Amino acid sequence: MTLAPRGWVIAKDMSDDAADVQRVLAGDVDAYAALVDRYYDRCARYAVRMLGNRDDAEDALQATFLRAYRALNRYQERDRFSAWLYRILVNQCRSVAARRAHRDRVFVREEALLLNAPDRRPNWSGEDEEFVQRVLNELDPLLREAFLLKYIDELSYEEMSAMTGVGVSALKMRVKRACDRLRERWERIKDD
Amino acid sequence: MIHASLLRRLRISTLGAGVLVASAISASAQDTNPLAKLEPGGNRFVIELLMDSATAAGLPSRPLLSKALEGISKKADGKRIVEAVRKRLLFLRTARGVLGPVDDEELSAGAALLEAGAKPAQLELFRPRRKGHNDLEAFIVWADFLQRNVPSEEAYSAITKLWVDGADDETFRSLWTNVQSDISQGLNPGTALQNRIRETPGRASPVPVKPPEG
Amino acid sequence: MTDSELHPYVEWIAREASRPVITDQAARDRVMAAVRAEPLPRSYFGLWGRLVRPRPVSLSPVAGALLAAGLVGIGVLAGTVTHNRDGQSTVGQPRAAVASRLPVSDTVVRFVYVAPQASKVYVVGDFNGWDTTKTPLMRSATGGVWTVDLPLTAGRHTYAFVVDGSWSTDPYAPLAPDDGFGHANSVKLVRRGTSL
Repeated sequence: MTLAPRGWVIAKDMSDDAADVQRVLAGDVDAYAALVDRYYDRCARYAVRMLGNRDDAEDALQATFLRAYRALNRYQERDRFSAWLYRILVNQCRSVAARRAHRDRVFVREEALLLNAPDRRPNWSGEDEEFVQRVLNELDPLLREAFLLKYIDELSYEEMSAMTGVGVSALKMRVKRACDRLRERWERIKDD
Repeated sequence: MIHASLLRRLRISTLGAGVLVASAISASAQDTNPLAKLEPGGNRFVIELLMDSATAAGLPSRPLLSKALEGISKKADGKRIVEAVRKRLLFLRTARGVLGPVDDEELSAGAALLEAGAKPAQLELFRPRRKGHNDLEAFIVWADFLQRNVPSEEAYSAITKLWVDGADDETFRSLWTNVQSDISQGLNPGTALQNRIRETPGRASPVPVKPPEG
Repeated sequence: MTDSELHPYVEWIAREASRPVITDQAARDRVMAAVRAEPLPRSYFGLWGRLVRPRPVSLSPVAGALLAAGLVGIGVLAGTVTHNRDGQSTVGQPRAAVASRLPVSDTVVRFVYVAPQASKVYVVGDFNGWDTTKTPLMRSATGGVWTVDLPLTAGRHTYAFVVDGSWSTDPYAPLAPDDGFGHANSVKLVRRGTSL
């Protein structure tokens, strides 16, 4: 195995990501802005859905892109940059969630309000984002994480395993449980 | 290098012939078979074959010999020694699959980490190599946490957090020292780790550094 | 589970959650502001940047050359450098007590075990073929602390103590994985030129 040369040679056939990484490592900090622009929204979608609010999500995103920047010399071209970045993102979201675990208890009260308020029942035509977020927030964090990676980011189980450090069968179990919980929720409220 | 010389001097016995030589391991300069304490045939033969398999697969056989000697020393049953050696070979193979062409020391440390309960997928993050640096300290600290029954994902999370942050060996070592101290004062290992990781600084707040010219 | 097997409600949740999340440029600007305040990623200094930066330790040229050749560790040098009257230093032979019987090693490492009541303590590990009688520790004058100094190759070493016949780990060292024989082991990491 040979490592591709770092920083000094920019090959013509490299993907945009790899080329931008090489530029940053060669000293061009502004090249990092291209990477941020390319991935910020997609990472934001995961972070917001995972953490349930934008403030926490922005903290996680900030930390993610900063850490990725610091660790840039560890990224090797043969890894997909997005997968490598996502690994950091998943970890950062876990950190942020752990630090603010006390906030999750608030959602229990909100669910009670939700069930008693008929105008907040789900319907099939474009429920607002807030409602879907509440539903996701009710999932256990580990189940939510697996569900998002599988169905929102559409990753394979192998990719998810590399990202989370969890075995494939455990991940499949978590995804299944997430779907079960969501289905149960539907059963509970559909007849209201 | 000790490993190269050991490989040169090892001649693995085939059916009915040969003597195992491994003088780099024992302090004695004589040519004695360190597995002599295991009676020939059966278990000893299997161990020698396992060492042969390791060499053929480009894996170090020294850790296998070491495990066998350890078992002999601890007066373990022959079958148990074979099992332990076999298990170690399996973990060396797996470590090779995940970490790639790292040197023997890192490979052994990675295998030990798997032995301690880390999952192969978790080692994926450590595949990229930094020249002039190895991850031995991180692997050792991580394996220790697993041995102390810190939950697997918490240990993984803590170690990777530091690693991605560019933590040096000192940082891993300090984390270990602090967590161990907390555990010895009665704190639950998982909790101890969570506390200490929370207080471990990310890289110090950015200090404007004048970049070198050119 | 494939998408076609998803319950319609679950599929709907997934679809809604997959909608893009709108972010504003200000957040991205904040990221770049933080990035610009950082030192450049280490690779900028070259792959060997960390190794070529000046080190605080200064050694005589002879000692420095020996160290760079990986033949002796700092621990050994500290014990053997002598100065003659001209102020120049010379390096004596590394301590030979155990060195002649073990392979060329990098660093002398101290093993310590506290056991005031014990009568015999040995260290046993991958560096001495797990021989339980090869490496005794010496008891201190006050009687409670047992030590031995060993030259070890750089890298990870597994070991344990045998205290009056019983296996014991080192309470001040990380744990190794289960040995497979019902006992626990400890780990020492030896770096070229330093010891832990």
